[in-house]
Amino acid sequence: MKRLLGSRFLQAILVLVVTFVIFRFGIQPPAPWSVVTLYMAIVLLSVLVWVSADSDSWRAFLAPIRATLVEERRRPLLYALLGLLPLGVGYYAYLQAAPRTEAPVELRVIHPAPPSSITFRGKTLDIQGLENPLRKDAATLEQHVREGGTIYVRNCVYCHGDNLDGQGHFAHGFSPPPANLADPGTIAMLQESYVFWRIAKGGPGLPKESTPWNSAMPAWEDRLSEEEIWKVVLYLYAATGQEPRRWEHAGGPGPAVVSGGGRPPGRTLPGPAAAEAQQAGDAALGRRVYERKCAYCHGLEGKGDGPAAELLHPKPRDFTRGLYKIRSTPSGQVPTDRDLFEVITRGMPGTSMPAWPMLPERERWALVAYMKTLSDRFQGEPPKPVEFPKQIPASEASIARGKEMYEAIECNKCHGDAGRADGPSAPELEDDWGHPIKPANLTRPWTFRGGPRREDIVRRLATGLMGTPMPTFGETVQDYKEYKKGESEEKQDPKVWAEWKDANLWDLANYVRSLGPERPNWATFLVVRGVEGEIPLDPAAEFWERQPAANIPLVGQVIQDPREFAPTVDQVSVRAVYTSEEIAFHLAWDAPTPSEPDPAKKVFADAVAIQLPVKLEPTERPYFLMGDGARPVYLLTWRSDGGVGEANATGLGKLTPQHGEAVQARGQVAYEDGRYRLVIKRPLETGDANDFAFPAREFFPVAFFAWDGSNGEQGSKGSISSWYYVRLEAPSSRRQFVIPPLVVLLAVAAEVLAVRWARRQGAGSR
Amino acid sequence: MRTRALIAVSLIGLLALLLFGLEPRAGAQGGGTVVGEVKYQGTPPAPGMLKVTKDTEVCGKEKTSTELVVGPDKGIQWAVVSVTGAKGSPPKPAKKPALDQKGCEFHPHVLLVPAGAEVDILNSDGILHNIHTFSTANAPFNKSQPKFKKVIEAKFDKPEIVKVKCDVHGWMGAWVVVMDHPWHAVTDAKGTFKLENVPAGKHKVEVWHETLGKVAKEVEVKAGAETRVAFELGKK
Repeated sequence: MKRLLGSRFLQAILVLVVTFVIFRFGIQPPAPWSVVTLYMAIVLLSVLVWVSADSDSWRAFLAPIRATLVEERRRPLLYALLGLLPLGVGYYAYLQAAPRTEAPVELRVIHPAPPSSITFRGKTLDIQGLENPLRKDAATLEQHVREGGTIYVRNCVYCHGDNLDGQGHFAHGFSPPPANLADPGTIAMLQESYVFWRIAKGGPGLPKESTPWNSAMPAWEDRLSEEEIWKVVLYLYAATGQEPRRWEHAGGPGPAVVSGGGRPPGRTLPGPAAAEAQQAGDAALGRRVYERKCAYCHGLEGKGDGPAAELLHPKPRDFTRGLYKIRSTPSGQVPTDRDLFEVITRGMPGTSMPAWPMLPERERWALVAYMKTLSDRFQGEPPKPVEFPKQIPASEASIARGKEMYEAIECNKCHGDAGRADGPSAPELEDDWGHPIKPANLTRPWTFRGGPRREDIVRRLATGLMGTPMPTFGETVQDYKEYKKGESEEKQDPKVWAEWKDANLWDLANYVRSLGPERPNWATFLVVRGVEGEIPLDPAAEFWERQPAANIPLVGQVIQDPREFAPTVDQVSVRAVYTSEEIAFHLAWDAPTPSEPDPAKKVFADAVAIQLPVKLEPTERPYFLMGDGARPVYLLTWRSDGGVGEANATGLGKLTPQHGEAVQARGQVAYEDGRYRLVIKRPLETGDANDFAFPAREFFPVAFFAWDGSNGEQGSKGSISSWYYVRLEAPSSRRQFVIPPLVVLLAVAAEVLAVRWARRQGAGSR
Repeated sequence: MRTRALIAVSLIGLLALLLFGLEPRAGAQGGGTVVGEVKYQGTPPAPGMLKVTKDTEVCGKEKTSTELVVGPDKGIQWAVVSVTGAKGSPPKPAKKPALDQKGCEFHPHVLLVPAGAEVDILNSDGILHNIHTFSTANAPFNKSQPKFKKVIEAKFDKPEIVKVKCDVHGWMGAWVVVMDHPWHAVTDAKGTFKLENVPAGKHKVEVWHETLGKVAKEVEVKAGAETRVAFELGKK
């Protein structure tokens, strides 16, 4: 061992390995690879310097290398290395030579210098030295914070989130993402007047270097008064437990700071899972936490009527009825303490109920205890969880049985034949409070309220979702098995029963889970593939199935009035191809019904639009919400009551369709099983100055809009996306197949030379 | 000889007692009958028609709303008349109460069920229905009833008027009246009702209708006699 450690070569290797382990696993959170690579390069250089400190050391270091190259007994090792090295290098070269498309890096200044003064609704305000006037009076501070909170949950929560962490339920649709106000790098570093400027003037008020055209931040000047904005600023600091940066001139004691209006930031990692026995929480503490954190949506009395509730869909739960969706207990029973704890901790995906892991565990149990006091249905015997049937893996046979059950039970009545929530009963469904409610779109497991895993689905089927039309199917599967048994006896075919005797809810859950992926796989940019021949107009053509699809998230237009808080379309799948003549886009999106326009009933046409700039500029773009006066946009449009068209726009609600000869786009739509599919084609060159000319080798921006007419969406009320990068794919080059073999040959040649040289050296020294 | 005669007379006497004495007869314990009708005040509106958009082979193309059913003589059907605050025990029905789903309608629209009794909920349609109850005193539930599930058993323990709905067919609705005493009746197509064996004395008789609300009247019941009560319900 000592001899081994004495070997210079191995010492060097040991140093390299240990430092690598420290850099890779010892730094938390993990450092990026580029940083680790840099450090390792420095360490390598240092090690080489160290081993070559004197000629003895250098010789000792090189000794094993020389030995491997020369000695007979090390031949196998040498051959192994000689074989692997060129292969490794060749593979690396292959990866590097592959045509890759990466979105170009877009630099933006996060905290640009503010202007020295701004005009707010005609009044001039000096940003320099401006203090929040509402901080002066400590007596009214608490009330102002609460009012600021009310304004926040009715305007800001959709992007910036209930926890002010930039994780609002629309946040994933915007790039750049909404600011994480709880992060110490945002409002904690800024003066309140700076924050005031940002809120008042929004994205459009940003200087060019901060890419205002990408920013989804509205300019709130048009909707909030000066005092309202100052109230919101108070709330932002109080709720994140931060203090604003002060102006240097501030003399005496600083103005009153509110504590307890919010929770100090800082992650408290969830503790070990509590025992299954009911945990006694402190209802009094729970009430305090509830009033600070939950009352804005759920209301001070738990009736689901907080100030945020009006604009939220689905609505926050009314706890006073004791009806809960996500439970492990049978239909008609209240949830267990653990059920409530889990929903608070994990949140409910697809809704505005966030996850609360940052609340200490003690506080979450306290909330559970408090929630139980809100409805007397919790009095009496504690509920017992439903018995879980034995797990069945998601085999093909299981999924086939699940599909048969799905059809026999007729789940398609609400969930649709393909699971897209387009069943005939879906439009009239109401929850127990009389609000319209949509069935789950089973092709989107990441939106399931109780989670996308198979065991979550089994639990929902076994317990039903109280307060909604979704019933319990716990006994139903048993009944179906009885029915199958009878069928088996009738047909005198024991094979039928053999197949079904072990079936249970897991089969149905396995089928449901097979309808969509657990995570959405959002795209970050698009590539338009080059193809040959005629591009089919039929959206159902097999040609389109073979093209890779990019999933683009769509969120509600909550930036300019009139806003859409509960849009129907939440995603569009985009495929795009081009030939030397034409370019074509294939869009697919889910909509529960094809709309029949009827303005009296506030039902309009279904529509989508693909937005492109009119002119491609290197540094600036049009505003992502249909452009502006200085930079108009060009749109490829489709309407269910007008077909395919082209248009130009200079802002939301300022759309001018093109007419007659100017429209060179053609398209075809198909609607089936709750999904629209559309192909829009256009010649690459149109010669029309109002049309966008697709560049051959550059990235250009694209954005998407969608409207579901049955949901009253039209004009500015609809679903939107941010700008995404797209480019026409470069024609495939041979580089990938030429360079790697050359590299391998070079590596082999180098090796041969190295071995020869070593042998000559060795022979010379003997 | 005398002993035998004595035994015979005692036996006959016992028999008579058993046959006539213990068996409650109409009026034997001081009960009276309350009859009457429930009529609509004013001009009844035309019944609402709903278009059927699913399962038309079983449900037909159109359904009449059951929220307010008024006969040609303005008699309101499906109103529940009961003696409020009466003390008694739930009646024992001759056969098990049943709520049937046929032709995408609940039959009957209003079902009287004694508290604690089991109810059979039937699916005679061969298509998916679900039983979704809305109640506060009794635990609400929502159970699916696909075509292969012919019977679901349910139990209601507490006196209450429970709303029952099918979500798959939104027009389908019914009411289960859980009785804690036997003096309940549902008005028929002419709006008439009859409450039998009501104990003599002053009572409050109440009529409940799903959309028109409640109206109560004081009634004096005389043993062995019929008391007439007329109710008028109208839009508030």
